[in-house]
Amino acid sequence: MLESELATTFAAYAEARLPGAKNARVDSINRIHGGASRQTYSIDLAYEDATGPKVKGLILRRDPPDSLIDTERRVEFAAIKSAFGQRGIPVPEALFLETGNEALGAPFFVMGRIESGDPLNPFKLDDVEPHRAAIGEQFFRHLGSIAALPVDGSALADEIDTPAADQCWRRELDYWANEIRSNALSPQPVAEAAIRHLERNPPPPAQRLSIVHGDYRTGNYLQDGAGKITAILDWEMAHIGDPYEDLAWATDLLWCANDQERAAGLVPWPEAIAIWQEASGCTFDPAAFEWWSLFAHVKALGIWVTSEKAFANGDNDDPILAWSGWFTHAAHELMLAMRLGPKYGAGG
Amino acid sequence: MSDIGMILDRVGRKLVTDVAPKLEGDYSGGHAAMGGIMAVMAGEAWDGAADRLVNEIKGLRDLIELAGKDVAVEKSASFKLTDLKRERDELARYIVALQMSLEQRDDDEAKALNAKIWLHFMNTALLRMPSPPDFPDAEEDADPA
Repeated sequence: MLESELATTFAAYAEARLPGAKNARVDSINRIHGGASRQTYSIDLAYEDATGPKVKGLILRRDPPDSLIDTERRVEFAAIKSAFGQRGIPVPEALFLETGNEALGAPFFVMGRIESGDPLNPFKLDDVEPHRAAIGEQFFRHLGSIAALPVDGSALADEIDTPAADQCWRRELDYWANEIRSNALSPQPVAEAAIRHLERNPPPPAQRLSIVHGDYRTGNYLQDGAGKITAILDWEMAHIGDPYEDLAWATDLLWCANDQERAAGLVPWPEAIAIWQEASGCTFDPAAFEWWSLFAHVKALGIWVTSEKAFANGDNDDPILAWSGWFTHAAHELMLAMRLGPKYGAGG
Repeated sequence: MSDIGMILDRVGRKLVTDVAPKLEGDYSGGHAAMGGIMAVMAGEAWDGAADRLVNEIKGLRDLIELAGKDVAVEKSASFKLTDLKRERDELARYIVALQMSLEQRDDDEAKALNAKIWLHFMNTALLRMPSPPDFPDAEEDADPA
């Protein structure tokens, strides 16, 4: 569907769903880099209602033919609804969800546009200066706050299963191991060895069951350039599980240019852990973190081999998928080999 | 024959420094930049690709020999990358099975060979790691998800 056609169709769709709206039109529509797992458009929707003319900024997230991550948009929509207006977590308002192809040719959802802020590139983290400490404080506070959100009664809990506390790790490991085995175009001996290592050395049960964002990291929040995080985005991998999964993913070394001194490349580790503990109500357990941190590398490999397959098959020709299948895959394979090898007597 | 690595490097730099800026604001600008970055990386990887695969294959065959196993994986008929990859991948599948069997044992011999397998993984992963070219303005779109 061409963007002009998409604009016309979307205006009619939105007019039918906004209470009292008439004469709706799309004033502008721009495809933006909002994550390779959805086609993301920024839209200015003009319309009139009983109070007069209005212009509403919207974000449309539509499914592509293939994406980095095989997720249900209803889960992302429910996760955003679960966090909206809670504990000061900045998330956009979830507005419309369509799970069929009828309206716009593919499933999609619409959320309110956050009008201030840009994403930070995790590979150029120095751009955060001079606000590194302030962003870091909010980064770990929001992460802890997400972990503290109530699961029971949440929109997300209505959409997906809640695992037992001692099965969170098993479910996630099985899922990503299957992704690797189903999608890898070549043997993955390092990933396979890591999966077996994680199976033989399970983590303690989750301290609490939490809403897990699933992709919480630099690159997936907006910041206003003046030291404030204005939005937490990209909830497409959200689920219910162990909050250590998010903590480990958020601090994976890929997202902070291998900065080992500062958690997520933002604030010193003790400070980050203290903020996260206070906001989440969890107690930091190094053994649990070690497991989930290694798991984060395996999960990443699952995403990267899926990306490579989609690109190689021609299902999605976005070059970012080729980059993922090459550079980021190599980076996480290297991390796993260097961390696990010494545990088995290599290179020590 | 032309220098393929040089061609990929020049084409990539052209895409990043000349084409992508002209497409700024359009979604395709990101594609041009990413394509250019990877073309430069591919140019660098091109030169060492066969050497890396040959060394991976030798490392895997050495490990299998250390285990005292015979493996029915034919040597590549040529130094074409596709042939070398096929041989490497078959050997890698065998290494996965070998390592699984070693993990079932608790003797020093098994542990020593497993350590050698891990050392091979570490060295291989290090050599596979591409070095991204430094295009400060073009890396904006290199965030995968």
